[in-house]
Amino acid sequence: MNDPLGHSRLSNTSDGPGQLRLWPIAVVVVLIFSLFVGRLFQLQILEGDVLASRSQANSVRTVRIEAQRGTIVDREGRTIAASRPAFGVDVIPYEVRNPWRTYSVLGAILARDPREIAATVGQPRGRRRFQAVALEKDLARVEHAKIATHRYAMPGVELHRKPLRDYVYGSLAAQLLGTIGEVGPKELKSEAFADYRQGETVGKTGIEAANEEHLRGRAGGVNLIVDVGGREIDEIDRVEPIPGGRLVLSLDLDLQQAAEAAFRSDDPETPDRMGALVALDPRNGDVLALVSEPAYDANIFAGGIDQAAWRALNQDEWRPLRNRAIAGVYPPGSTYKAIVAAAGLAEGVIDETTVVNCPGYFRLGRRVYRCWKRGGHGPVDLEAALRGSCDVFFYELGKTLGVETLARYAKLFGLGRTTGIGIRGEASGLVPTPEWKLRTRGEKWIDGETISLSIGQGANLLTPIQLAVAYAAIANGGTVVEPRLVLRRETWDGRVVEETAPRIRAEHILAKPILDMVVRGLTSVVMDPKGTGRRARVPGITVAGKSGTTQVVSLDLVEDLEPEEVPIRYRDHALFVAFAPVESPEIVVAAIAEHSGGGGGSVAAPMVQKVLARYFEKTESRVPSQIAAVVHLEGAHR
Amino acid sequence: MTDLRVERSRGQHFDWVFAGIVTTLALMGLVNLVSAAASGVEGGSDIVSRQVTVLGLAALVIALVLVIDYRHYDRFAYVIYAGSVGLLLLTLAIAEETRGARAWLFSGRFQPSEFAKIGMVIALAHYLGRHPPSTIRRLRDLFLPGLIVAIPVGLIVAQKDLGVAVLTLLIGLTLLPLVNVPLRVWLAIGLVGLAGLAGLWQFGLKDYQQERILGFLDPSRDPLSSGYQQMQSRIAVGSGGLFGTGWQQGTQTQLRFLPTQHTDFAFSVLAEEWGFLGAALVLALYAAMLLWALMIARNSKDTFGAALAIGLVGTLLWPAAINVAMVLGLAPVIGVPLPLFSYGGSALLSAAIAIGLLLNISMRRYVF
Repeated sequence: MNDPLGHSRLSNTSDGPGQLRLWPIAVVVVLIFSLFVGRLFQLQILEGDVLASRSQANSVRTVRIEAQRGTIVDREGRTIAASRPAFGVDVIPYEVRNPWRTYSVLGAILARDPREIAATVGQPRGRRRFQAVALEKDLARVEHAKIATHRYAMPGVELHRKPLRDYVYGSLAAQLLGTIGEVGPKELKSEAFADYRQGETVGKTGIEAANEEHLRGRAGGVNLIVDVGGREIDEIDRVEPIPGGRLVLSLDLDLQQAAEAAFRSDDPETPDRMGALVALDPRNGDVLALVSEPAYDANIFAGGIDQAAWRALNQDEWRPLRNRAIAGVYPPGSTYKAIVAAAGLAEGVIDETTVVNCPGYFRLGRRVYRCWKRGGHGPVDLEAALRGSCDVFFYELGKTLGVETLARYAKLFGLGRTTGIGIRGEASGLVPTPEWKLRTRGEKWIDGETISLSIGQGANLLTPIQLAVAYAAIANGGTVVEPRLVLRRETWDGRVVEETAPRIRAEHILAKPILDMVVRGLTSVVMDPKGTGRRARVPGITVAGKSGTTQVVSLDLVEDLEPEEVPIRYRDHALFVAFAPVESPEIVVAAIAEHSGGGGGSVAAPMVQKVLARYFEKTESRVPSQIAAVVHLEGAHR
Repeated sequence: MTDLRVERSRGQHFDWVFAGIVTTLALMGLVNLVSAAASGVEGGSDIVSRQVTVLGLAALVIALVLVIDYRHYDRFAYVIYAGSVGLLLLTLAIAEETRGARAWLFSGRFQPSEFAKIGMVIALAHYLGRHPPSTIRRLRDLFLPGLIVAIPVGLIVAQKDLGVAVLTLLIGLTLLPLVNVPLRVWLAIGLVGLAGLAGLWQFGLKDYQQERILGFLDPSRDPLSSGYQQMQSRIAVGSGGLFGTGWQQGTQTQLRFLPTQHTDFAFSVLAEEWGFLGAALVLALYAAMLLWALMIARNSKDTFGAALAIGLVGTLLWPAAINVAMVLGLAPVIGVPLPLFSYGGSALLSAAIAIGLLLNISMRRYVF
């Protein structure tokens, strides 16, 4: 028996395989293949001539029509980033008939060396022969006209329209708006960019990247019949591109300009200031201005940035590409005292009447911590301590509260985590704790560090936007808002697609009376004749604020030097953060001037002042009847 | 020991006709691929040498499948089936998404759904071997075979590889005409099928897949992608005329107007360069191969062998039909390769298994 499975036969009943109904399948096979042969006959024999003529003498070429990138406007609808039509010229190597003559003519028109053009185009093989090599992306009107005239003498030279980004104000909010560029080979391989094509423009950083989907639009295309020489003969069909959507930002162009101007020095001898500034509306988190200096002209990215310019920007010592307002981390210095004060009040360690004597120093064990005022402030209560930025008062308070409590309250104000502004690269800052130190450095916490911490020095780090958000929470009575950058998304022709609602992280983080006490102290910082923030005053408005000065290096490194001898890298940072009007705050401004060599009150306060002044100048110039109406309504409410 | 003698005698029963047709098709596919690759597709020469390797591998697979008596596959039918379903599950669990689908293992080199088709067919044949088709008269008798089909199809849908899911379903349906179910039951199945399709359109299809189908119904809808592919394919086929433009002479092909011309659109390269005569010859060879395979089913000595042969006809027929229909502008663009002809590893190896099994059944038809 050579059949190990013979029994299977027995399991078959009367149903021999021969009786199986096979004909339907055979019919299907025959039908399908007859249909195919018929279709082949139709296409190849009956319609063959027509189709062959399309294929041989003429070829169909699909030309992509790029969509215009969406415009970006400020809260009042003023255009910040537009898209303008531009012409570029490409060379398709395979179609060039007489390279030397073609490149000579092109060279003459574009004022470029023909040899250099030849080198750019190269002699690609295989598939790349058919791929256009971009020679110029933004042709002058005359260049375009000349090439158009000579085009038929130069097969392989192609003109194309491609809209280019136009940043109307150049360097305005450059890092915030972000950069654009050609989609990279790595991105093309990823799922997120599945429907992108090589050479397409894509937002790389900032708002351009965060709103890529909205701004991109949809490319159209046209199928052209072209002859062997690449001349258009007929258009088969066309799909119009859909421009990208309009993006309405919360930014106020006037405020942004005023804020950037605050960093410029009037004196040609002194360089412009570096640093960052954030203006927020504490009621809803609207970002009214966001500055990072030094900046750069955003238009260098519009047509694709060249290698050398990119390298120069990227390797610049002062990192102009970096958005310091959201990615720069700084010790908060004395601006931190408002949070320490709130913690002390909330924990019941101090109240308004608590008085601490400041002899100019504070002793912990064998170490002595100095107050910035050598002679001491004498006996100070909370208001006086904030007004004069007395260090000893807060050393004492911080020691009593302890590091864990300080960290808890810092986190309550949104520190130590990103604010949710929605821009890639936002830093989360650092709220140090003993657990953090043990984990990252493997060392135990020293009590002295708590002392430094309570005046905002030490390992404490925050971003300017975090500082603004924390003070917004003080100003608005305890609500931690998420900064809102985008007010609305609209279609290119102005239909509203999406309104962005303000977002709240936490409410009532502290009791109103506690925050009121802190606000009272902060108000005297600006409004009291002895306050450190006098230079942030705006006529007719009650302003509250706090200055801060943070050492970048240990004092002994620079103590013996005259101020102007200190290397820039070693100079102090100056901070100031303020809000106004105190009665019902509408704006918070946080500013930091890096390595300015001056104090927060003397350097940063005037910068904040310029932004506040511009803001209230604007609100007051509003139609008075409107304001009157609002006042009237509010009065009626009461 | 007796086996050796028997194996030798079986050489006389080897189905030379079927093997001849298959070999001819594969060689024509290779010749065509050389032309398609010569146009400068990325990695052109690589493609040819890889295809030669895979063809060698396919011959080896055929030989391996051949030496084991096919009734052993009957014995282990459910084990094979479970294994292929397991592979699908594994794919679903660990594969990374490529182009919207989660259907490949080993960084895109291995597509388990290709082998699940064969596993499914073996399981169906096994079931029909135990439950002769003439005794299946009621809808409820179709429950188990229906489940055998539904599991892999469902898993492939879950992989979001819709083209292959539809294909697998069609292969399962190939065996339906065998059973003895009355007409009204057929109507019921048809209705359920239509409802299923509507649901699939609504919830199962991704935007781009809907676009493809709409693009097929109205090619001018989006000339940039799927409509464009089909238009170019039609121009390529049409420009072939009666005799074709000649090997490596196709304008459309060599200028690379055709997309994926070495895989999904291989047949349009053939039609352009070899004309009506060449393309019709290849279609005739396919039809002959399939009809011959049906003969193998008829002559099989048991129901398992017959049902298996018919199912295998399905695994070869439907991809071929869908692919050619797509190239000729009769069906939407679905990424299904032409069996034996297109470039591609998994598809070719699964076709090799099918061929091996068919030869196996044919060879052992007289031996009891």
